[in-house]
Amino acid sequence: MSRPSDLIQGTLDLLILKTISTGPKHGWAIAKRIEQVSDDALQVTQGALYPALHRLEQQGWISAKWRKTETGREAKFYQLTKAGAAQFERELAQWERLSNAIGLVIRLA
Amino acid sequence: MTHFAKNRSLALREFWSRLGMKTRRWLGVLWMRARSVFRSSSVERELEKELSFHLDQEIEEGRARGLSLDEARWTALRKLGGISQIQEECRDMRRTDFLENLTRDLRYAARMLAHSPGFTLVMVLTLALSIGATSAIVSVIEGVLLRPLPYRDPARLVRVFTSSTQFPKFPMNPNDFRDFRARLHSFESFAAYTRSDLQLSGTGEAIRLSGFSVTAGFFNVLGLNPAMGREFERNDELPGRGHVAIVSDKVWRTRMGARRDVLGQRILLNAEPYTVVGVMPPGVQHPGNMYHAVMYGDTVDIWTPFTFTNPQNRGEHYLDGIARLRPGVNAAQAQNEMNAAMQQLAKEHPDGDSGWDVLVIPEHTELVGRSQRLLLVLLGAVALVLLLACVNAANLLLARATARQRELSVRAAVGASRPRLIQQLLTESVLLAAMGAVLGAALAMAGVKALVALLPADFPRASDIHVDAPVFLFTLAVAAGTGLFFGMVPALHGSRTDLREPLHEGGRSAMSSRGTLRLRSSLVISEVTLACVLLIGAALMLRSFVNLLKADPGFRPEQTVTANISLPEANYKDGKARTRFYEGLLDKLGSVPGVIAVGASSDLPWTGWDDNAGGMKIPGEEPPPHQFFHARYHAATPGYFRALGIPMLRGREFDDHDTADSQKVFIINEAMARFWQHSDALGRRLTFEDHPKEKDWMTIVGIVGDVKDAPKNAAAEPGFWWPMSQGPLSDFSIAIRSNLEPKVVADHLRAAAGELDPNLAVSDIRTMKEVAAGAYATSRFALLLVALFAALALVLAAIGTYGVIAYSVNQRIHEFGVRMALGARPSDVVRSVLINGMKLALAGTLLGTVLGLALSRLLGNLLYEVSPADPVAIGATCVITIVVAALACYVPALRATRANPMTALRAD
Repeated sequence: MSRPSDLIQGTLDLLILKTISTGPKHGWAIAKRIEQVSDDALQVTQGALYPALHRLEQQGWISAKWRKTETGREAKFYQLTKAGAAQFERELAQWERLSNAIGLVIRLA
Repeated sequence: MTHFAKNRSLALREFWSRLGMKTRRWLGVLWMRARSVFRSSSVERELEKELSFHLDQEIEEGRARGLSLDEARWTALRKLGGISQIQEECRDMRRTDFLENLTRDLRYAARMLAHSPGFTLVMVLTLALSIGATSAIVSVIEGVLLRPLPYRDPARLVRVFTSSTQFPKFPMNPNDFRDFRARLHSFESFAAYTRSDLQLSGTGEAIRLSGFSVTAGFFNVLGLNPAMGREFERNDELPGRGHVAIVSDKVWRTRMGARRDVLGQRILLNAEPYTVVGVMPPGVQHPGNMYHAVMYGDTVDIWTPFTFTNPQNRGEHYLDGIARLRPGVNAAQAQNEMNAAMQQLAKEHPDGDSGWDVLVIPEHTELVGRSQRLLLVLLGAVALVLLLACVNAANLLLARATARQRELSVRAAVGASRPRLIQQLLTESVLLAAMGAVLGAALAMAGVKALVALLPADFPRASDIHVDAPVFLFTLAVAAGTGLFFGMVPALHGSRTDLREPLHEGGRSAMSSRGTLRLRSSLVISEVTLACVLLIGAALMLRSFVNLLKADPGFRPEQTVTANISLPEANYKDGKARTRFYEGLLDKLGSVPGVIAVGASSDLPWTGWDDNAGGMKIPGEEPPPHQFFHARYHAATPGYFRALGIPMLRGREFDDHDTADSQKVFIINEAMARFWQHSDALGRRLTFEDHPKEKDWMTIVGIVGDVKDAPKNAAAEPGFWWPMSQGPLSDFSIAIRSNLEPKVVADHLRAAAGELDPNLAVSDIRTMKEVAAGAYATSRFALLLVALFAALALVLAAIGTYGVIAYSVNQRIHEFGVRMALGARPSDVVRSVLINGMKLALAGTLLGTVLGLALSRLLGNLLYEVSPADPVAIGATCVITIVVAALACYVPALRATRANPMTALRAD
């Protein structure tokens, strides 16, 4: 429920971009997918997810379309835009640099 | 195709594709924002649909895990958390919240304001008055002080004067001017000019034109060009060549039919033919002058060449100098160079030129310098009013914010963040300020017109004052600034909601009332302080004005009508002709029934006459060291002093026995009588000649009371009058004291003058009261405005005090109810409320007095015979402030006595 901190927010953006980079997904699927892949270690609350999705959409990194799911219900599917794919690459590179750096510090310092 | 080229085309393609990607992204972003703003309801619906889809998925998942429908729904809801909070955050994320919230806040604010029309009305009116007053004063300052003068590169224009110990600022001598012009390097160009009014006849009714004779290149110095023809050249300055004229656009249109072939035409000026060589474009502004001053503005009708007729004279000073500095030279450097030249001239002409310095003053300073203090004082006063209005608005808003605490808490509880609450509260205050500004701008438009009408006639650049775009922008900025400023404190205060407190305690007395009350009390104290400062200023101005009116002017302006007459030299070639005219005129007027006294003279009191005669010799008396006897010279006919009510202290008036052939006589004023340190002036003689013959002596036959040059001057200048019969003037003033209506007197005057000379113009017909009022105008103007601002401030402070006391009474109403129920008398309750209010009022008054004492010094020469620490003014201010504050407290105090214990208890 609490407002995500900047770090988490940035990380969540990265997770969302990664998750939909394989194909369009709706919000619930994105949350589920992150939970499954992380072995339930990362719980994405709706309070964090939807504001993040709306922000990414506003920034033009992702776009949304209403489509039918397999069960025939209308859902809002998010997918990467071309600019979003480039942004994803940048954020990924940045994340790797950051996590490497933190890893080095934790192991060596 | 080479490898390089191929590479380049690849790079280009990538560049284009990246550019396209970026552009598409930005177009998408714009579309999203536009959609969020303009189709907000459909966006909101989608968000709801999206969230409910998520909820359903969660429920289905729970069912799949084997939960019952209810259990699954419950788990899902718990996991989801506050839907409205998510919605609010999503809205935040859409970033367009600014615009979108603004429209929502505006709509909301408008509704809230419409709900409490009394509050809104008070807020808007007080803000409109103060913003309007500020804009009006800023318009005046912009027009007078800030707007560049309408000449080419006006910053380089300077005025040139001479200066001696006796005459600190004096016109120039023509021959000195000519030498300066030939020798100086600091000036790109240098010209001189002197008043020379002319009578235009031959085309319709004769009129007197306001004219100047100017040296060659006068307009070039100003950077102005004639619309037609040429300006004067050096040749025109030669004696005998000067019968050419340049006319103003106004004269060209009204008297010459705006004819294009006017150049080279002859016109009759002072009954002599002049050739028109130039026509100036409309809007030529006279740069102002010192000797026989004509004020700055579109005030001059005609220009003629100045001719150097007397090459030996170094003693006459009557030219105003104006020059254009070379680029990079400043006024001080030019003054140094001129003083060096002056010293050289003093060596060459020790008689006339020793003892003189030169003053070089920037044109802008010379024009508006003397009104600067008045305007800055008014700006200060109006800024205090605006500040006070802001504090007052903050105070009222704070009261409202406190009353709305519950509403704000509810909004915070359902997910409004603090910045959102602040934004909403600020929207309300800016909306108030904006409404105030719109009304204020309208008030400013009207106010500026009224201000200009009220301005003293001699106020510089009055015609340049109007509300224009920069002033309007300033008003907008002030409104936005005040809105934020007075809204900020209540917004920060009001938004600091603890979610639980007000909702829990619910009652209106709950919310941190102590802190709010302290904040509001300090606001009230500052309001009273500001009002007190303004009141002290107004009281001092009022005292000055009363002193000014009480001071004996030295003449009786009531019942006297005055006018100016100018006899053209061509028709009145000698003294006899002039004497015949004015004696005839005075006889005719004197025989009109109801006329008490009538006379003519060189000038009228308080009209700026400053002509001096110096170098007189008085047997047995010596002037102070390094000085010489000098006095204002005037001429008068019999009856003049009676017509103006100037008392004849001793001796006699002029009479019919004083003729051109009789013994030369003088009447002097008291100030001049003091020249005779060792004996009584009456009956003594003086002369202007070094080797006087018997006819060169003047005998003092009378002493009249002093009349100062202007009402605020410290003392009268020494002055003497000769009988008009012994030195008839061609320009003179008429004064007629009578029991008749001024209009009737004016008709008689015109008729009498017309009978004697149908081609003569009688100008400036005014009552002496109007002349005197003109001399008081600046003081009256300053007093009126400062008093107006002080009254406004007092009302604002009263509203503020009332607001806070009423608020605290409301807070304590239940306490009062209980006390009354327990037997407290109404007077006890009233006293307790009054004491509360009076504490604030006294603190404010004390602070205001201290601040007022510190600031009243800035009034400087706006005060007249009043110390800036005048105890009467300060005492009166304190009494007024405290009485008004007491009244403002009394109304809520009465309400406290009507507190009903039952209602009070129930209300909580």
